[in-house]
Amino acid sequence: MLVERWISARIQLRVGPRHTGPYGTLQTVADIVKLLMKEDVRPVQADAMAFRLGPMLTAVPAVMSFAVIPFGAPLIMRDLNVGVLYFLAVPGVTAVGLLLAGWASYDNYSFLGGLRSSAQFISYEIPRTLVVVGVAMLAGSLRMSDVLEAQRSVPFVLLLPLGFVVYIVTTLAEINRTPFDIPEAESELVAGYHTEYSGFRWALFFLAEYGALFAASGFAAVLFLGGGNGPLLPPFVWFLIKTLAIVFLNMWVRWTLPRFRSDQLMRLAWKVFLPLSLVNLVLAGLVLQAVN
Amino acid sequence: MTPVLVLSAVLFATGMFGVLTRRNAITLLVSVEIMMNAGNLNLVAFSRLYQPELMTGQVFAIMGIGIAASEAAVGLALILTIYRRYGSTDVDRVRLLRE
Amino acid sequence: MGGGQAVLFVVMGVAAAVSALYAVLTRQLLRSIMALGAFLTAVAVEFYVLSADFVSLVQIFVYVGGVVVLMLFALMLSASGERHPMAGADRAGLGAVLAYLVGGVLAVTALRADLPEPGAFPEQTVSYLGRALLAEQLFAFELMGVILLAALVTALVVVRKERQ
Repeated sequence: MLVERWISARIQLRVGPRHTGPYGTLQTVADIVKLLMKEDVRPVQADAMAFRLGPMLTAVPAVMSFAVIPFGAPLIMRDLNVGVLYFLAVPGVTAVGLLLAGWASYDNYSFLGGLRSSAQFISYEIPRTLVVVGVAMLAGSLRMSDVLEAQRSVPFVLLLPLGFVVYIVTTLAEINRTPFDIPEAESELVAGYHTEYSGFRWALFFLAEYGALFAASGFAAVLFLGGGNGPLLPPFVWFLIKTLAIVFLNMWVRWTLPRFRSDQLMRLAWKVFLPLSLVNLVLAGLVLQAVN
Repeated sequence: MTPVLVLSAVLFATGMFGVLTRRNAITLLVSVEIMMNAGNLNLVAFSRLYQPELMTGQVFAIMGIGIAASEAAVGLALILTIYRRYGSTDVDRVRLLRE
Repeated sequence: MGGGQAVLFVVMGVAAAVSALYAVLTRQLLRSIMALGAFLTAVAVEFYVLSADFVSLVQIFVYVGGVVVLMLFALMLSASGERHPMAGADRAGLGAVLAYLVGGVLAVTALRADLPEPGAFPEQTVSYLGRALLAEQLFAFELMGVILLAALVTALVVVRKERQ
């Protein structure tokens, strides 16, 4: 988070946080303390249960998805048979959370934000899943460690460059980051589904966004860049380097590009990324033929 | 094995109770989904009983989930249309099936 | 089933039964759909306990990430939060008696049935499932695709007609 603020400042020629602690390193800690101490405000007309469930249902899947990511050879919590599918399925629950949060707030901006973000989430989930199917075809397994093993000599990004690009872009859209952050477009929707949230619950949304960013980047590193495979350095370090490179790419894009319009965004999902992901699937089949 | 079947029977009964008593279309759909899940639970349990390596029951369950998804899509489309027409999702108020 | 798994099975079974009952009984549609979400998750865990891990994740993927979201959408586009009454008391009583009679018959049959000892699924569920889906049950699999396509088109047509 701190790093993101540094990067954004760099790109926008600002200074960035630097007063809290040496070079501003304690800024995040200060922010967290501030958020936790703030009053927990709830709109009078909001549905209490849904209002509380919303942020939880966005944050919990983001945290849960870390369970199947191999952080290095032995460092994986659960090497499920269906690890890849797990990673696609569990974050899907987030859409429920977004809708609930938007609806429960009882306010038009939040409602629109919630509807938009779930619509976007669902639309981009399809090409993303199809791209991952291509990877699973090449690996011949849905187990994370097998996917890694299959990339021992050649990382999949070289075999499926198109798939990698589609994955990165659709992931950006799934976790609602610019240029795909229409749901929380400040200029038109105040803050989207979390307009009415403050303090601790707002922090949960924040946590969910960054958790999802890191999880999705780690997943990309495993699926396309060979995760912890690499010479000399231990697997964990390699994994970290690759993940952080993708995270950095994400932040760079966020602070450089403008925002799409809502209809452009949907058209992009259905008319560009869906066909591209199908093409990727065919390419994966061809690669498979060529290898055999 | 038996616990699964009993659980499935309880769930099925609950879903059926909903279908019989509730009058809101969306709740009806929720109840039907509960019944279908009870069925899927049974399918997976019986798949273990007879030739687990063939996975026939699991394949059935996956089909069931797929059917449920398409059923929900069509059902909800119908509900939306009914709502636009009658301003309610109460199935008792829907008496005409034609224009 | 080991000891831990048996406990998990019972806990999730109770959770599933309670959330199903709540989904059916509550008068608020939003609560009902949320309870359905909880119920579906509990059933997914039950699938996992029965070592059908693929089915369990498909359940989460399609139901919780798909059907529940769809229902929420429908709810938000139609009746917003109004309360929906049960049927008249006599009908509710009759419904309960009838439904739980059927459930009771099913449960008693299950308890009295002389079932063979269940086997275990192979360790590599996914590859066996893949073979089953794309070889032995290929026809059903393709039929599934046709049904999904038909449902997609139907849903579009039904929603669209009204606009003209």
